[in-house]
Amino acid sequence: MNVYAPILVLGIIAAAFAVLSVGIAPFTGPKRYNRAKLDSYECGIEPTPQPAGGGRVSVKYFITAMLFIVFDIEIIFLYPFAVAFDQLGWFGLIEMVIFIGTVFVAYAYVWRRGGLEWD
Amino acid sequence: MTALTGAVLAQNALSAADLPQIGAPAIEYGTLSPVLAITATALIGVLVEAGAPRRARFGLQSAVAIVGILAALAATVWVSIHDLGKVSFEGTDLLARGKTVAEGALVVDGPTVFLWGLLLVFALVSMLMFAERGLEGGLSGFTGQAAVAPGGAGEREATMAGIEHTEIFPLAMFALLGMMVFPASNDLLTMFVALEVLSLPLYLLCGLARRRRLLSQEAAVKYFLLGAFSSAFFLYGIALVYGYSGSFTLAAIDTAVSNQIAGQNLLLAGMALISVGLLFKVSAVPFQAWTPDVYQGAPTAVTAFMAAGTKVAAFGALLRVFFVGFGGAQWDWRPLMMIVAVLTMVVGAVVLIRQTDVKRMLAYSAIAHSGFILTAFAGAYEGSAGTATITSVSAVMFYLAVYGFSTIGAFAIATLVRDGGGEVGHLARWAGLGRESPVLAGVFALFMLSFAGIPLTAGFMGKWTVFSAAWSGYAWPLVVAGVLTSAVAAYFYVRVIVLMFFADPEGDGPTVAVPSVMTSAVIAVTAAVTIVLGIVPGPVLDLAQNAGTFVR
Amino acid sequence: MSALVVAVLLPGLAGICLALARAVVSARGAAAAGAAVSVLSLICVVASWSARDGAYAGEVDHPWSTALGLHWHLGVDGISLPLVVMTILLCVLVCWSLAADVTSTTDDHEGAGVVLVALVLVIETASLGVFSALDLVLFFIFFELALIPMWFVIARWGDPGGGRLAATRFLMFTVTGSALMLVGFVVIAVTAGTLQIPTLADLPDPLTGTVPLLGGVAIAVGLAVKTPLWPLHIWLPDAHSKAPTVGSVLLAGVFLKLGTYGLLRVFVSVVPEPAARLAPYLGALAVAGIIASCLACLREHDLKRLIAYSSVGHMGFVVLAISTMSEVGVLAAVFASVAHGLITGLLFFNAGWLKQRYGSATFDALGRGLYTRVPRLAVVLLFAATASLGLPGLAGFWGEMLALRSTYEPSPALDRTLAWTLLTLAALGVVLTTAYFVRVVRRVLQGAATPRDDDIDLTRTEAGISAVLAVAIVLLGVAPGLLTGVIEPAVGAIVQVAP
Repeated sequence: MNVYAPILVLGIIAAAFAVLSVGIAPFTGPKRYNRAKLDSYECGIEPTPQPAGGGRVSVKYFITAMLFIVFDIEIIFLYPFAVAFDQLGWFGLIEMVIFIGTVFVAYAYVWRRGGLEWD
Repeated sequence: MTALTGAVLAQNALSAADLPQIGAPAIEYGTLSPVLAITATALIGVLVEAGAPRRARFGLQSAVAIVGILAALAATVWVSIHDLGKVSFEGTDLLARGKTVAEGALVVDGPTVFLWGLLLVFALVSMLMFAERGLEGGLSGFTGQAAVAPGGAGEREATMAGIEHTEIFPLAMFALLGMMVFPASNDLLTMFVALEVLSLPLYLLCGLARRRRLLSQEAAVKYFLLGAFSSAFFLYGIALVYGYSGSFTLAAIDTAVSNQIAGQNLLLAGMALISVGLLFKVSAVPFQAWTPDVYQGAPTAVTAFMAAGTKVAAFGALLRVFFVGFGGAQWDWRPLMMIVAVLTMVVGAVVLIRQTDVKRMLAYSAIAHSGFILTAFAGAYEGSAGTATITSVSAVMFYLAVYGFSTIGAFAIATLVRDGGGEVGHLARWAGLGRESPVLAGVFALFMLSFAGIPLTAGFMGKWTVFSAAWSGYAWPLVVAGVLTSAVAAYFYVRVIVLMFFADPEGDGPTVAVPSVMTSAVIAVTAAVTIVLGIVPGPVLDLAQNAGTFVR
Repeated sequence: MSALVVAVLLPGLAGICLALARAVVSARGAAAAGAAVSVLSLICVVASWSARDGAYAGEVDHPWSTALGLHWHLGVDGISLPLVVMTILLCVLVCWSLAADVTSTTDDHEGAGVVLVALVLVIETASLGVFSALDLVLFFIFFELALIPMWFVIARWGDPGGGRLAATRFLMFTVTGSALMLVGFVVIAVTAGTLQIPTLADLPDPLTGTVPLLGGVAIAVGLAVKTPLWPLHIWLPDAHSKAPTVGSVLLAGVFLKLGTYGLLRVFVSVVPEPAARLAPYLGALAVAGIIASCLACLREHDLKRLIAYSSVGHMGFVVLAISTMSEVGVLAAVFASVAHGLITGLLFFNAGWLKQRYGSATFDALGRGLYTRVPRLAVVLLFAATASLGLPGLAGFWGEMLALRSTYEPSPALDRTLAWTLLTLAALGVVLTTAYFVRVVRRVLQGAATPRDDDIDLTRTEAGISAVLAVAIVLLGVAPGLLTGVIEPAVGAIVQVAP
């Protein structure tokens, strides 16, 4: 049981922080309401209810998100490689170059097909 | 309390010296060359998409895909000659050949190579259907602009401008990659990754039909939602089995299962959940609900590819997981699989009788045939040394070959029977096809007879092998049920033939489009194989039989 | 390649060539070619029979698929030779009748007449294959191969009203039956480890127990559909009566024999012990079929349906003979099969000619007094009817007589009391058969003539066909030894022969 005690402590601290910061916000924060402020997430996407005629979320957001994932995955694999690159030697280096090359294929596709242009 | 915590933390603190030595893994590039070839083909396809000018893309993409598949086929032949040394494992003298590769993540053995060969041939034939542009006035059977609203101005503009989605080829290659890795996986995690790699491109491809866009999109969404659901089941099952056995590797799971290292509940739950994921992919009852909708909505070329390829991959994986990983618990899963097999055959055959749409009909036929294959699987006959009696593994593999060719051919013919609105789905409109085009109707009749299992077609030999394997495994109720349901299903197939040859056409009757050489080649090849496998099954059957059992 | 293989495959290959060349071949020419090919095939059979050494003439045995244990194994012995010869004879006659008269059985569709000939030839190959196959799966393959073309013949060239339904019913019954038979074969193959019929027939310890019994039941039921055995006969009257003349002749003359031959070759000989346990049931059903069919015939108003029902009765005699599992029984079964093929072939040819003249084969349509209106045709019909009811001196007599004789002295498989009961009832069937044929004679042949414009007596072809069959029937009637001499040496391949 004792082994798990630190985890329990951490959990309590995390919960306390969450409750405290949400609970204290109404008392300490400034209150200036405007249209943008009332939007959910304040991120610029029109949330529900959608305007008549089927308000669409611009596909650009999704492209950006997917592109993020491509590089995210690259990082996830690069990190362990970085830890053990000296032990893996040439094999590791060549494999990583191939890997980055394949990631670049996706990047090239997005770039050439206009996924990086915002307008 | 704090002191104690500190002590524990100190204990757990790691220094760099404590880290395990990470050696460079050994990768057998030669043995993996078929898989690598397909990966490279898919990546080159994406690069072509990025770099080539729009006009050249379609031709280039189809050429890349076909050349890549041919290269992979050559590599598969090479692997089958060089890397399939005989192996023996303890306690049995059954024939097995091959080895585990990529640090135990994959296993390249007889069944794997056989299934690779099948998948590549099916993919090759399907790519010819993908590349067909003779039926839609110079455009492919896929939508020009998937992102625009169906039936809207954007769609018309795209058609006028001759825009085509050429991504279909790389997508199909990625799906093929997943299909090849799926039955070759030696551990459950690799298998899950392969499952996703094969599924996701197919979900997309399903939504790309040029005609009846809404139906196609509905199919894609349905397939995606249900497929994601079943993947989740599969993953959960993997987690539970890992909890039971402490390993993802099939051989380690086998050891754990045979030694009964822990309570059986965890194992049973895990097996059940894994089987849900796999049975979904082979569209076994009660996980078959998606099949008719998806088969109907998807572009016909995709349906053909999916029907043949997914079935091969999923049955390969099903056999490997249950024969290798859960072989020690077969008395737990076999009764259940027998029930599933009977249900699948009965539901497939009975519902088949009421179908009025060609593609839905082929979908229910696919379900029924899954049931037939499941009989051999549930028979779980491993063979005995020294006799030539057909084993479950080779029976399933042979049936997959037989079924795949017939089904691709049938779908290829379905693309040719058209009217102003695209393919004619309703069977009543197929009346009188025998007069309109006797050759085409004759070949379709051949496929129907093969599905029905009439001798001298491949279907008969397939049925004979699966039933004989099931009987050898003492699953005689399955044999009886299988034979009776195939008689029921035969009624329907016969009705289709009657309709084509003896019924009077409705109105003007269907028109038969004249395809380019590609679809003609597909139909000719599949028909020839259906006859040849029915008359001289020997070589292919021997190949399946010589593949031996799974290497573990 | 042995002459037998040529004999079996030649008609089918010729049929395929004709079908492919239907644009340039006339229907008449195709039929003539079909007859010629069949004659060639007959010559090959005779050649391989006269050159026989060993149990099976013209035996070939090549491994076909080692994984399945499947062999390309053909050969004819005394059991199959009579049926082979009869099949070829009937096919020659059918082609002859098609050559002489292609308009009645074809429609305006181009090349249809040629296709019909091609289908007949494929059916011939399939039937010859069944009679000479010595491998269970090969037997099954030929068995099924015969179905599809016959189904086409009935559906495409049969009666416009109901032909298609009859064809579908025919196909569904027989496909289900063969599916069951296939199960039986799987069982036998897996239990015994071989598919070769001679090996199975000579197993040192015959298959006994529950599993072979199950297999035996499956095989018996499958073959009983084809034979047909009461109550599985219900597909038959429609199929026979709605089929075109050539279809009816081949159905009755050849197809039913596939069932009876199968009972001998792949049931009694392959699974003797289960067959002995099932024999009483087979015998009882056979006799039930005899009585039921006779009663049906007494109430029947359509000549073709009547002949079809009478076939059920005659097949009942054959199955009764088989169920005795004695030497005489086997002899009787083969003899009666051949006799029935010739006689019923002639009857169906007759009925077909009448139907062609009067548009229907119902008694009302035929009218009365055919003796006066079409005397020669009427005489042929009378001859066929008397042969069918078993008049001594004609082939039908020996078939029924031997069948009853075998029931009098059955093997131990059939209980003596039961056998004699069956014998009595079957004898009653003989009487009833006479009764309904007399009814036909009185109703159609005799009576005050009701002349019609289409009263045309036998054409030259019709007379020729009748003559060939009549000669064969009389020959077998006065010299049954011609046939029994061939059959008897081979009886040992089917049942244990008492030393």
